[in-house]
Amino acid sequence: MSLLNRVQMICSLMAVLVLVGTVMAGCATGQGDSANTITLWHGMTDTGKETFEQLAAQFEEKHPDFKVNVVYIAQQGEGRNEKLLAAIAGGNPPDVAFFDRFEVGSWANQGSLTDLTAMVEESDLDLEGYYPFAVEEASYKGKLYALPMGTDARMLFYNKDHFREAGIDSPPKTIAELEAAAEKLTIKKGKRFERIGFIPWLGQGWTYTWGWSFGGDFYDKDKEKVTIESEVVQSLEWMRDYAKKYNIEDVTAFTDSTGSAASDPFLTGQISMIVDVNAKISVINKYKPDLNYDVAPIPTPTGNDFTTWSGGWSLIMPKGAKNQEAAWEFMKFVAGEEGQKNYSKNTYNLSAIDSINQELYEEDPIMKQFVDLLPSSNHRPVISEGTLLWNELNKARDLAVRGKGDPRQLMQKVSNKVNKELEQ
Amino acid sequence: MKSEKVITKPVDSRVSIKKTKWRTSHVYGWLFASPWVIGMLLFFAFPLLSSIYFSFTSYSIINPGEFVGLQNYRDLMNDSLFWTAIYNTVYFTVFFVPLSIFCGVSLALFLNMKVKGMAIYRTIFFLPTLVPHVAMAVLWVWLLNPQFGLVNGMLAAVGMDGPAWLGSETWSKPSLILMSLWGIGQAVVIYLAGLHDISQDYYDAAEVDGANSVQKIGHITLPLLTPVIFFNLVMGVIGAFQQFTLPYTMTKGQGTPGNSLVFYVMHIYDNGFKFFKMGYASAMAWILFVVIMALTTLIFVTSKRWVHYQGN
Amino acid sequence: MKPKLTRSIVAHTVLIVASILFLLPFLWLVSTSLKPTTQIFTWPPQWIPNPIHWRNYLDAMEYIPFFTYLKNTVVITVLGTLGVVLSCPLVAYSFAKLKWRGRDTLFFITIAVMMIPGQVTMIPLFILFEKMGWVGTNLPLIVPAFFGVPFFIFLLRQFFLGLPNELIDSARMDGAGEFRIYWQIMLPLAKPAVLAVGLFQFMAGWTDFIGPLLYLTEPDSYTMSLGLQQFQSEKGSEWGLMMAVATMMTMPIIVLFFLLQKTFIQGITFTGIKG
Repeated sequence: MSLLNRVQMICSLMAVLVLVGTVMAGCATGQGDSANTITLWHGMTDTGKETFEQLAAQFEEKHPDFKVNVVYIAQQGEGRNEKLLAAIAGGNPPDVAFFDRFEVGSWANQGSLTDLTAMVEESDLDLEGYYPFAVEEASYKGKLYALPMGTDARMLFYNKDHFREAGIDSPPKTIAELEAAAEKLTIKKGKRFERIGFIPWLGQGWTYTWGWSFGGDFYDKDKEKVTIESEVVQSLEWMRDYAKKYNIEDVTAFTDSTGSAASDPFLTGQISMIVDVNAKISVINKYKPDLNYDVAPIPTPTGNDFTTWSGGWSLIMPKGAKNQEAAWEFMKFVAGEEGQKNYSKNTYNLSAIDSINQELYEEDPIMKQFVDLLPSSNHRPVISEGTLLWNELNKARDLAVRGKGDPRQLMQKVSNKVNKELEQ
Repeated sequence: MKSEKVITKPVDSRVSIKKTKWRTSHVYGWLFASPWVIGMLLFFAFPLLSSIYFSFTSYSIINPGEFVGLQNYRDLMNDSLFWTAIYNTVYFTVFFVPLSIFCGVSLALFLNMKVKGMAIYRTIFFLPTLVPHVAMAVLWVWLLNPQFGLVNGMLAAVGMDGPAWLGSETWSKPSLILMSLWGIGQAVVIYLAGLHDISQDYYDAAEVDGANSVQKIGHITLPLLTPVIFFNLVMGVIGAFQQFTLPYTMTKGQGTPGNSLVFYVMHIYDNGFKFFKMGYASAMAWILFVVIMALTTLIFVTSKRWVHYQGN
Repeated sequence: MKPKLTRSIVAHTVLIVASILFLLPFLWLVSTSLKPTTQIFTWPPQWIPNPIHWRNYLDAMEYIPFFTYLKNTVVITVLGTLGVVLSCPLVAYSFAKLKWRGRDTLFFITIAVMMIPGQVTMIPLFILFEKMGWVGTNLPLIVPAFFGVPFFIFLLRQFFLGLPNELIDSARMDGAGEFRIYWQIMLPLAKPAVLAVGLFQFMAGWTDFIGPLLYLTEPDSYTMSLGLQQFQSEKGSEWGLMMAVATMMTMPIIVLFFLLQKTFIQGITFTGIKG
């Protein structure tokens, strides 16, 4: 009995050892880091992913000596960067990564990105063709840390059928017109909105969006400080009053109930107007191609001086990248004319290069309006605390809309907190 | 039983057995524990000590930073969101842990009865814990949807007007407690395993004395289940203080509405991974450590009064 | 007989009502997995999809390399579970039933190491594994399990504490070695608890997201939970596909748990020895 048990035990222990051995042997291959292999990390699914793979193949064809390893990682973007952070900290990052451009400032400040300035100067890459705001957003303290790739802009989407039904002829230009139109378009039954005309903070209605549209700004480049401008405070006050008028709990019940993609409230006709990015066009084309809609600039208090802001992606070379030269070649190709054109065409996105957009979207009635707005677009301040500022501004908006605190004091808190960090 | 056996042995040999027993026990104790000693040093002690050190620096994951003394701890005291996070976390813990013990034990008692179809019932209660977190967060956002969600749909069916749940500052934390209770299956399994360990002899003896079901539960089951309740209490407190995945996924990291779902570890995470303030985040972690440690010690100290081990 | 019958009726009533409450969200998950995207958000909620959209399952398996991810997840989960089942009871037994110098201190430290949230220790641990050359392999997700998990050690210790010392003492009198006492007498008695621990580890490994995210760097070695993430894109998430994968991820463990039930119940037969 005991002998049998001992044999059993020894057998199982050996089985474990064999298994562990197999795992080690089978999986300890790690990254194929030969000198000519370039590893690219991206978090895109669907067409974005396919396009990166195509671009890699095209690059390999042009440069037979190099091999590109395109790796989808299950996250990438604002606040979802643990993998890249850990890889840089561990000293073994990818050679190139697709990176949220607005975080370039914070990451460059940490010294986690490779300075590309000299490489650009020595190469044939011409940054003139790129939108100035995109290049600015990819630079930190006068040095270039990323190649801009793709961009976006915000506009007011409106449902033409709803407008006709409510007897509104043209999209609102002023904030007052916007409110009047919203009121006409809203259908409320009890606490429940059958349809709501407009919700300022839905979609892309960030503090930045309205602050700029009201004519304010957020950062003083000379003093290197976050500012509190009365226009921004006014925009928050306007959102607060709007929330009060429509009852925030009821509106939240509505917004929480809205889905995305096919069930996006704008697509289902639950909302008549929404501020959103151009990516919405491809969602509409995919799920509701017969939607009768158009876009217009985001209304302002005066009805002129329209503005918008842009974000977008970029390619970066993390600090500690192994094959810098090869990586640079690849980056130049993907973020250059040919690569961007393919990427924008396949994913139906705006490129960071003006001429590509002119060429691709000349005949596209809606996309064209976005392209026309781009040259004068704003971008979020490129500072070491860009992510913190973004986060704080969002929180301030949420609190203001919920009537928790006076907008001016909320903005005061934001600027105090971020400025304190900037000083350090 | 034991005394009979011992008495038949000569006294001096008994003493020597005791001595060798202690000595061998000493060696075997360390030997048996050795995997964990190694594991703890490598995978726990090292990162833990690193984080103590980081809490006194401006470490940012990428940069080692500078030694800043107690600066991080001092800054925390003036961080209003830190206090909001503490409030939310304590609120959650105070309501969730007792509720989870009450519901868990009650469910386990029912699931331990000898009725038909028990395997199916047990599987059903365990099921929610198996759903991957990403899917679970999405699912709950839908279910608690104020307008087309199932929960308010059912409330409407009985003529009640459901709240805005996750959209309301008042209801967001209760919603989270509700969701967490749904995932109680793991604790129930532990209670069940504990119930199986209670010897039938006790119940037989009580039967002879004419005890009814309620008396049996009160005088046998609950006292003998205390080692397991104790375990779930300690782990429940540790777990509740470290609440993260569900609220973070549901609110896309924002802790909305009105900061009512900003939890302690979410604040740690944002500082460490979004704002490059891992030193600050480590300081927060160590404050959390001290608080949980104090609570756990309290539970351990009081445990001598209310935890009964069958073996003794 | 009569009180027994009423008891049974009460038990079933309570259990059925509670079961429905616990089951609803899961049924909603399954129902969603069988709907085309256009049907997911409707009012009033539609329980039974019409028509049933089986395509989601096939599409999901094509959208991600399903079977590769499944295989990887199984390898990590099974080996991790094996590790935990081998190491944790041994350590827990030594904490509960053996007397040795430093035992209580070490136990206290074991509890203490659970109090620092993983988010803080994650990076130092990653750097450690990077230095060991294990990043890019599944070793960081498996090997630590063989060295014990504090949560499980604590749990098993509680169970061993509940077992009577007499068994150990009399076995020692009979000249049994320490390891044999553990392996042949104590471990079988703790079987329900060890099973529970194995199951918990299995679940944890099965749904773990951050571990595979950090340590796996080749798409061929990804797991299901990383696959699940791929259904969320800028053009809106593919909820139907995502819920189909979530359902497929959940089913195997449901079956496993259902089968383990029997063993849980068999645990009772050992109780005769106790007391």
